[in-house]
Amino acid sequence: MVAASTSFSEEGVPRIQSGIPDHLVLERLEKRYGDSVVVAALDLAVKQGEFIALLGPSGCGKTTTLRMTAGLVPASGGRIVIGGDDVTRLPPYRRDIGLVFQNYALFPHMTVAQNVAFGLEMRSVPKAEIAKRVAEALALVRLEPYGARRPRELSGGQQQRVALARALVIRPSLLLLDEPLSNLDAKLREEMRTEIRDIQRRLGITTVFVTHDQVEALSMCDRVAVMEGGRLIQFGTPFEIYERPRHPFIADFVGRTNKLSGTAGEAGFVAAGPLTLRAAETPPKGSAVTVMIRPHRIEIRPKRAVAADPRRNVVTGRIVRTTYVGDLFAYDVDIGPSTVQVEKPTTAGPQAFNQGDEVELEWAPTDTLVFRDGA
Amino acid sequence: MSAMALSVAVPDQPASRTPLAFGLLLPIALVNAIGFLAPVAYLLRMSFNESTGGGGLREAFTLASYLAFITDPFYLGLVARSIGFSLLITALTLVLSYPIALFIHRADAKWKSLLTIVTVSPLLVSAVVRTYGWMLILGDQGFVNGLLKNAGLIGAPLRLINNSTGVVIGLTEILMPYMVLALLAGFGRLDRSYEEAALSLGARPWTTFRRIVVPLTAPGIALGCLLCFVLAVSSFITPKLLGGGRVFLLATEIYDQAITLLNWPLAATMSIIVLVIFGLALVFYTRIVRALD
Repeated sequence: MVAASTSFSEEGVPRIQSGIPDHLVLERLEKRYGDSVVVAALDLAVKQGEFIALLGPSGCGKTTTLRMTAGLVPASGGRIVIGGDDVTRLPPYRRDIGLVFQNYALFPHMTVAQNVAFGLEMRSVPKAEIAKRVAEALALVRLEPYGARRPRELSGGQQQRVALARALVIRPSLLLLDEPLSNLDAKLREEMRTEIRDIQRRLGITTVFVTHDQVEALSMCDRVAVMEGGRLIQFGTPFEIYERPRHPFIADFVGRTNKLSGTAGEAGFVAAGPLTLRAAETPPKGSAVTVMIRPHRIEIRPKRAVAADPRRNVVTGRIVRTTYVGDLFAYDVDIGPSTVQVEKPTTAGPQAFNQGDEVELEWAPTDTLVFRDGA
Repeated sequence: MSAMALSVAVPDQPASRTPLAFGLLLPIALVNAIGFLAPVAYLLRMSFNESTGGGGLREAFTLASYLAFITDPFYLGLVARSIGFSLLITALTLVLSYPIALFIHRADAKWKSLLTIVTVSPLLVSAVVRTYGWMLILGDQGFVNGLLKNAGLIGAPLRLINNSTGVVIGLTEILMPYMVLALLAGFGRLDRSYEEAALSLGARPWTTFRRIVVPLTAPGIALGCLLCFVLAVSSFITPKLLGGGRVFLLATEIYDQAITLLNWPLAATMSIIVLVIFGLALVFYTRIVRALD
């Protein structure tokens, strides 16, 4: 899924070119309510035409960040710059933004066409042009025949598309999406993911997408900003976020992971119980660490007598459980200090191992993610 | 979650619910028949009787009282003044109550019920007592005049009671709790995100209020206005006391005709006229609500 919608190499070289100017810049942005800090000194720069996600669990400050950007809540500190203009103190109606709400917030007393026309009326666009642009916007979201309907007569997915048309018809310089897919059922959510992504690409509009769903964030966005406890903890391409998380919280929150506790050894090695594992980066010798390995990065094969490749991690274990998940076989393998899960796509063939089989696991040192405890 | 709760809450429908429902409705139907329908029928009958002057009454079927009413400019003026006053009071009540209702609607849940109770608490005190309170506040030696005189803003006291000014002030305050409650009942559709959406689309706050907030709260506005108009037209104690006998409205005139002049047929006729006005207001309200939908 990641590979399908992004175009960086396995090594994670981002597609974003450095020559593109920043369009949205948040500088030391902060939101406090009394003593509680909701967003703490957030720095974020979004390039022109880029599609980024603000990803995090509920209460991490992502929605507050979006609402500050929209001007719906005042910032307690810091600056918001859109297209080079400091808009920190501007009201929402002077920020030139398009906003899509989680509940869509379509005006119930207006028809679909009137909803879409509203922003153009506010800009005193001539009547004839309003009609033309409303028709174009409805065509963009494939809802041409629905202009005369009331929002409540539409399905959730259609309402979602009207909300998108209403936000886009004013040709804002910045599109803000607040959990727009969370009220849709799973199948529709997948359709809308592709649709929103396509429209965003076609219009080349700088877009910030707030979500708590890692699959949405990884599959739709050029870059993902992961937030936790009001802080930005990593901002990178989906590949970097998924495969090279810089924080144990991300390794845990995004995707599935195997966790082992251990101690850092010589540079490039960590000890996890009786095992010594190779890692690309390790903290100073002796530090207590948590080791995380993604289940899909581990090779699994029958145990054999030949010597293992000394540059890679090779451990032996015994299958304790096998699970068929449709597109995946999941094998739980007891490797001594703990049990790790290994995932193999079902396309690779029929189930290769059974409970009790002795197996060998192998993975690259770059896939051994080492996090210093308490850091 | 809520769907589950709902499905649990709905009991199996018994095969024969009608007798039970009928039985439960019977007491209130009887009370209404005896306490409301019978008096109205009696009132209608009375309006066709003949007054023989000096309190005399003769059973008859005559339109004399109706003719007397519609041919006398004083009575027609009474109708016009009653409707005009009531409309003015309704408008003032709406303007003063709307911000309060909006504030309560937007308050945190924990404050909402407290604020609502505070707003409707005047209803715990009878309108007579509140009217006397206004007489103390608005009188020549009252609080308002005392304050203005001490501030050196006026020499002679302002005439705030025993005239129509007093009636308007008093009735507006007395009707405000009803208006606030009716508005709150009609604010269900108003969600903050609609206003935020309008602001994000470039609407200034005033435009947002006019184009989004007012239309979404229109059902509450219509209900509150109907309620306050009806209560204003039929109000008696407040115009009587604060008007000082100088403000002539339908309700006060009905009292005078019935109690002072003992002309029951004319009093009954005017009561029927008031009922007709209510009926017209209700028709108007129904049309507005239908147009809003």
